[in-house]
Amino acid sequence: MSDSNKPSNRRKFLTNLTQIMGGVGGVFALIPFLSTMSPSEKAKAAGAPVEIDVSSLRPGSYKVVEWRGKPVWVVRRTEEMIKNTLEDDNVLSDPRSLEEHQPIYTKNKYRSINPEFLVLVGVCTHLGCSPLYKPNAKSAELGLDWNGGFFCPCHGSKFDLSGRVHKAMPAPSNLEVPPYYFASDNKIIVGEDGEKS
Amino acid sequence: MDKFITWIDERLPVSNFVKNHLSQYYAPKNFNFFYYFGALAIFIFILQIVTGIFLTINYKPDAASAFASVEYIMRDVEWGWLIRYLHSTGASFFFVVIYLHMFRAMLYGSYKNPRELLWLFGMLIFVLLMAEAFMGYLLPWGQMSYWGAQVIISLFGAIPYVGESLALWIRGDYVISDATLNRFFAFHVIALPLLLFALIYLHLAALHTNGSNNPDGIEIKKNKDADGVPLDGIPFHPYYTVKDIFGLSVFLLIFTFVVFFMPELGGYFLEKDNFVPADPLKTPEHIVPVWYFTPFYAILRAIPDKVGGVLAMGAAIFVLFILPWIDRCSVKSIRYRGMSYKVLLTLFVISFFGLGYIGMNPATPVLTWIGRLFTLIYFGFFVALYFTSANEKTKEPPDRVTMHD
Amino acid sequence: MIRILLIIAIMISPVHVFAASQSMPLKSVLIDLNNKSSLQRGAQIYMNNCLGCHTLQYQRYIKFVDHLDLPAKTIENNLIFTTNKDGEATKIGSLILNSVNPDHAAEAFGVMPPDLTLIARSRGADWLYTFLTSFYKDDTRPLGVNNSLYSNVGMPHVLVWMEGLKKQSTEAGGYEYVNEGTMTPEEYNKAMADLVNFLVYVAEPAQLDRYRIGFWVILFLGVFSFVAFLLKSEYWKDVK
Repeated sequence: MSDSNKPSNRRKFLTNLTQIMGGVGGVFALIPFLSTMSPSEKAKAAGAPVEIDVSSLRPGSYKVVEWRGKPVWVVRRTEEMIKNTLEDDNVLSDPRSLEEHQPIYTKNKYRSINPEFLVLVGVCTHLGCSPLYKPNAKSAELGLDWNGGFFCPCHGSKFDLSGRVHKAMPAPSNLEVPPYYFASDNKIIVGEDGEKS
Repeated sequence: MDKFITWIDERLPVSNFVKNHLSQYYAPKNFNFFYYFGALAIFIFILQIVTGIFLTINYKPDAASAFASVEYIMRDVEWGWLIRYLHSTGASFFFVVIYLHMFRAMLYGSYKNPRELLWLFGMLIFVLLMAEAFMGYLLPWGQMSYWGAQVIISLFGAIPYVGESLALWIRGDYVISDATLNRFFAFHVIALPLLLFALIYLHLAALHTNGSNNPDGIEIKKNKDADGVPLDGIPFHPYYTVKDIFGLSVFLLIFTFVVFFMPELGGYFLEKDNFVPADPLKTPEHIVPVWYFTPFYAILRAIPDKVGGVLAMGAAIFVLFILPWIDRCSVKSIRYRGMSYKVLLTLFVISFFGLGYIGMNPATPVLTWIGRLFTLIYFGFFVALYFTSANEKTKEPPDRVTMHD
Repeated sequence: MIRILLIIAIMISPVHVFAASQSMPLKSVLIDLNNKSSLQRGAQIYMNNCLGCHTLQYQRYIKFVDHLDLPAKTIENNLIFTTNKDGEATKIGSLILNSVNPDHAAEAFGVMPPDLTLIARSRGADWLYTFLTSFYKDDTRPLGVNNSLYSNVGMPHVLVWMEGLKKQSTEAGGYEYVNEGTMTPEEYNKAMADLVNFLVYVAEPAQLDRYRIGFWVILFLGVFSFVAFLLKSEYWKDVK
């Protein structure tokens, strides 16, 4: 057995080289095990974009589809609804949608690509209930200054007709707008950004 | 860093452990090729556990969805195919390694005094490993999975008086079904791995009690220097850690070659019939156990009586347990033993391979007779050894180890 | 090392007689999964002629994008023919299924036509190629055809419109054609090679990846083994 106290340079070099190569090999070997936990093809297929045909949707009414296990609404706003879209921030908590709850191409007061159609994820940003569609202004149950919008029955959060949350509500933020685009005038694809977005 | 280590040592004797079992644990310096396989076995065990866990994430242990879930892993789960092949190839390589590991013990007398308990723990591990592999093989729920299990479980049914009840109890149903699959899954994933882990620990503890044997079969602790260090010993770390890294690397080279380029290995590692979902109404033309069981399967088929065959197969494994008491020669290593042992061991190896070949093939009349011959040689090894080992013309083993490299 | 090679050599040696009940020697077919146009033609033949009865229930259409170099729209327009209950076209991420009623099929053919996703792994490419090119006219059979490889097969000769119908004869090659199909025998054999190529791919899509990745793994381990050997030798200089 060797009784030298200090390992030779060659020994140190080879040890380091082995350790480095082993480390690199180990990292590469780790990649499949980490990656394998990502969504499988089955999950990706179930979470694929959803097509919505809006040609039969009457102005003022809405349609619900399922996307990634969540309800997605498409509301066809009337002229009056579009005209009455609020500007001010007396009522609304985040009227200019400064928080990131919508794709950049819907960052406007209508929170949509085309003001006529509103696409929202129908899940309240408080604790996940599905709000109700209350388009009529000045309703008896919601008060004289209700301008139309969505009302969550679980804890009373109110949202306007662009899905923007009112001030002092249990819900902290605006309703989420999913990525979407118009494949044609009457076909909305929810779940993907379009080519030019 | 030193203060941190001291803090740990005051609460858990880590430094002492490293000293006693690695850096100041002395192993013989003359280990050869056959001494890689213990460390490789530990590596494969860990590999099987890790790949097994990741398979369990996506595998469904239900007769209606098991087969499909394996294909789901192969296609739809990212890197699923690799994890599956690592596990299936790992199972076969585990047996290659274990058979070579056991063969080393037969070459150098590693089961002899004072290492009999080490050998017994090892044999228990071997039996549990066979059970683990057998249960694992049912899980893909292919034709060979189903019918292989059918044959083996019906062997238990052959035991007089208790057989039928025993088979019913094992299956959990009147035929192999979802119930059987579910319990085999539980045993394969949790029960047996825990038992294996415990036994491997005991195996290593028994090993470290007396230290390893070596190719010359001499006890290195008989010659120590002034500090009590065996003259022929070298600290396990760094000498055998560094050698085992090299051994592991070459092993991985061969192993990954199979995994990436020939995972089916011509139908021996992944059988063709297992790509067909299990069908209780359709028996495959040839029901063959996986290759690592074939020697014992051949012994089973060699005996024309059903119960006799089962007993013979059991005896073939039992006789290995009592090898330390059958082999009465005081010289450990084949290097210094008489010609009789060399001849007998050679015949034993030939019979083992021969039985393996026969077990893989249909039982034609010719092969059955050859199988009977090899079975006689297999058991003959142990019977003859009992007598010859007491009277061997041995050479005097050296006082100090010899280095052959 | 030699011992391990010996062991592997013994294991690989052609001792398995699994397909013992073969009625004829198998013709061999060249498989090339890198030939994307062959795979595409095979996929087209399958979807147009085979999917009607035989599902590929473990495979998804969307995989053809990467593995067959086909754009999603091409797949949707040319390879997807099924719809759901509401009449909507099957989505590209779906598994490849059909609408066969198992009871009707069992009544018509005696058995439900099996799923073919893994047929190339359980039977082998050569078997499939031989099977597809061995149908011949046999008026004693209910469907008018028999198969030299698989006697009394329950399957009709679906591709007779391509191959034409041949009958056993004493001519060179063992057959003569009584009806012509749209292809010459050479063209038909090539089409069947494409179909088998496709089935080999479908049986194990991972093949495409594992050869490619395996090359780098072996290369790395080769270099690492060399470095590890140098390290081992360096330390073992100490040991006399």
